[in-house]
Amino acid sequence: MDLFELVNFYVVPGIVLGSIYALGAVGITLIFAILRYAHLAHGDLATLGAFIALAAVTGMGVSPYVALPIAVLGTAAVAVGIDKVFYEHLRERPKIVTVMASLGIALMIRAVVQVVWGVDTQTYSRGIVRPEDYFGIRIRDREIYTLLAMVVLVGVLQLFLTRSKWGKAMRAMSDNPNLALLSGIDNKKVVMLTWVIAGGLCAASGFFLGINTELKAMMGWHMLLPMFAAAILGGVGRVEGAVLGGLIVGIAEELSVLVIPSEYKAAMAFAILLFMLLVRPTGLLKGKVL
Amino acid sequence: MSALLSMENLTGGYGEADILQNVSLTVAQEEIVVIVGPNGAGKSTAMKSVFGLLTIRGGKMLFDEDDITGWAPNRIVQRGICYVPQVDNIFREMSIHENLEMGGFLKTGDLSAAYDRVYTLFPDLKERRRTMAGSLSGGQRQMVAMGRALMLDPKLLLLDEPTAGLSPKYMEQIFQICRDVRDTGVAILLVEQHAKQALAFADRGYVLAAGKNRHEGTGADLLADREVAEMFLGG
Repeated sequence: MDLFELVNFYVVPGIVLGSIYALGAVGITLIFAILRYAHLAHGDLATLGAFIALAAVTGMGVSPYVALPIAVLGTAAVAVGIDKVFYEHLRERPKIVTVMASLGIALMIRAVVQVVWGVDTQTYSRGIVRPEDYFGIRIRDREIYTLLAMVVLVGVLQLFLTRSKWGKAMRAMSDNPNLALLSGIDNKKVVMLTWVIAGGLCAASGFFLGINTELKAMMGWHMLLPMFAAAILGGVGRVEGAVLGGLIVGIAEELSVLVIPSEYKAAMAFAILLFMLLVRPTGLLKGKVL
Repeated sequence: MSALLSMENLTGGYGEADILQNVSLTVAQEEIVVIVGPNGAGKSTAMKSVFGLLTIRGGKMLFDEDDITGWAPNRIVQRGICYVPQVDNIFREMSIHENLEMGGFLKTGDLSAAYDRVYTLFPDLKERRRTMAGSLSGGQRQMVAMGRALMLDPKLLLLDEPTAGLSPKYMEQIFQICRDVRDTGVAILLVEQHAKQALAFADRGYVLAAGKNRHEGTGADLLADREVAEMFLGG
């Protein structure tokens, strides 16, 4: 196998998959940092986002990339709604209660998706897209868009967190919640903002998984473990860590096919997660200890 | 003399147990008042009660002609009392400047006057304002914590053991800063472990023991009091 083959069949798909994981992992890491629990409905929220985009494509006849912002807004609204209706009432209870509740929410979202859109696999557009050849490296347009969208969305998020007043308030709440409250930072607004961002990124993650593969009701659930592995690998609470973790998990999954049967690809994320928790639980970029 | 803060016969604690029993104290405008006493005397509790952090079961708290008994902390902050906890009193992963910005979070409009005021009091911080607060030394962290609390122009600053764990050199520096802060028109109520040094620098002091008022007076009077000396100043 030559280098081009390695890049074309393993590294490029790995980066694409990694970008998709990264979009989800950033949301997971933000929820971990600010609300301090593991959100198990994250994958299914991504599924919902992907199907909202599908509804826009089939219902309004727009192109998938026009449907993306609609899905982002819709999913963000759903995420805020779920928090208001369910999680908010559990805020004072032990965190494990909310974790379990989020598992229930995951099942609920999946059931809704199955009832509304059915259980068959679907796609945004039919037909085979031929990759373009860039000096021997073959890349499809949608693969470029996936990486680009991830970089832009995370870049904008980073700017928001480091430059704006409310972004800094989110960091303050993650850094020292008691002191944030003593400073008069409105906890409820910060929580809402966190859900808007996490929900929107979830939709983008589901959308890009859908456009690069296909849509099915279990698509998001299967991403949950790799997304958590990415968040913990990068360091909980670290946005740039979640991106790094996502890319590493994605590329590792694709490369693992070279040495283990492809049915076991998904075990790669689990292995990385386990290894990281044993060796360096704070993650590569030194995040919070859970 | 009209008091800025007056705590009258306060009884209360966390949960069911009453840690404070009929504690009374006052702080006048531009005055530094220190609460001292042996371990477990309820010093920090008394201070936290001002900030609405415990259950009050008797007595009342007046601040600047308002009855603030039972107010929530965020309302008290807006009314003009800022609190610096003893530990975890900075945002470690934010720069010095961002720490101050968070301190001024509730203020609408321009913060530049507030930044100027804090940076004038703490010139060291201005030079290093892009530095992560978590990488600073103990004394500098305390300055960041005080600076953060001063961003809202409080009338009263509550400091919980600001010199805990600091070297004598830094302790003197923190006390000097307290005087400077007072001279800009802010009253200070602080809890201190280093009773001797604190009484020597404060305008007035209260000695608490077992959750009750034991002695009160000017710092010099308390230092000269034999009973106070024997109680915990080490003779």
